[in-house]
Amino acid sequence: MSRDDAMLYGIPFPGVFVTDENGQITAKFFHDTYKKRDSPEILIDAALGRVTLDEGTAQVEAGDTEVKITAAIRGGKGSIRQGVIRHLIVRFELAEGLHIYGEPVPEGMVATQITVDGPPGFTVMDAIQPPTRKLHVAGADLEVWSGTVDLIVPFYATGELASETRPLDMNEAPIEVKIRYQACTDEACLLPRTETLSFSLPLDVIDVPALSLHMGHGQREGNYNSMPAMRRLLFRKARAYPPGFFKYLFKTLKLSLASRKRAQQKNRR
Amino acid sequence: MTVERDALGFDAPAPLGHPARAGIPEGHVPGLAVGERLPDFELPDANGQPIRLHEDRGQARAIVVFFRSAVW
Repeated sequence: MSRDDAMLYGIPFPGVFVTDENGQITAKFFHDTYKKRDSPEILIDAALGRVTLDEGTAQVEAGDTEVKITAAIRGGKGSIRQGVIRHLIVRFELAEGLHIYGEPVPEGMVATQITVDGPPGFTVMDAIQPPTRKLHVAGADLEVWSGTVDLIVPFYATGELASETRPLDMNEAPIEVKIRYQACTDEACLLPRTETLSFSLPLDVIDVPALSLHMGHGQREGNYNSMPAMRRLLFRKARAYPPGFFKYLFKTLKLSLASRKRAQQKNRR
Repeated sequence: MTVERDALGFDAPAPLGHPARAGIPEGHVPGLAVGERLPDFELPDANGQPIRLHEDRGQARAIVVFFRSAVW
């Protein structure tokens, strides 16, 4: 935020640091917009260095005794909110001696691939994968995983699917997960397989504070009144730097008028 | 209040261009890097009691969260 916006300067941009016992940063969660935030469960997992398959949430299984696949949603009990990042965790449990492939693979072999589709506004981020192990077989260098492998696909909803400022169009979002993989031993390969799994994820209605700015958008109006806190903030800011306060009011008014004009033009079209 | 959707697809009650909706400028790296040590600091907790990061966490790991408007 620019220092010219003195009224709001000092309000932090949301972000999270995770440290180890020595205070050294082991993970960092910052995004390009303040609307994207990682689920608390994901932050706790990062601090504890684990990946959790949450048994209390949506979970589906596929595969067989050689390759068992479990997919689960981590965060918010599997619900969807605008901008809040959840994790789709796909866990492979591979029988002794089997491995699956990461990118790149030589021609004729199949790298593990997860594609996730949902309604408009359902947005998938880059996958998080554990490091692969190098394997040299028949003159080819391969990147493989064996044992238990957790592949993670972070996702969130934009306003098109789960707005926090208008009523929701649906209660649940259907999500389809396609998992393509090929399991091999050092000597032979099983045929490539594709598993298709389905989830139906509930959309969260947001509790909005009792502020005129938030009310009347169709979300659930919370029973907490944040007006006293807002009044205190405005008073403190106005006292600390009166020109900044009036500059802020003027800017907000100007932008609001421009916003209203755009909305009117849109309605006319 | 008019609600507008930003370029990334998010709805918010503040008008577009409002400083409350500002994102991280392209190329800007926020804060320290993974591997660095967080500096010690003292801030009041929810009850107004001062908390020193490294002193009060003992030997435990920590999650340091900067947030606002916590629709989380």
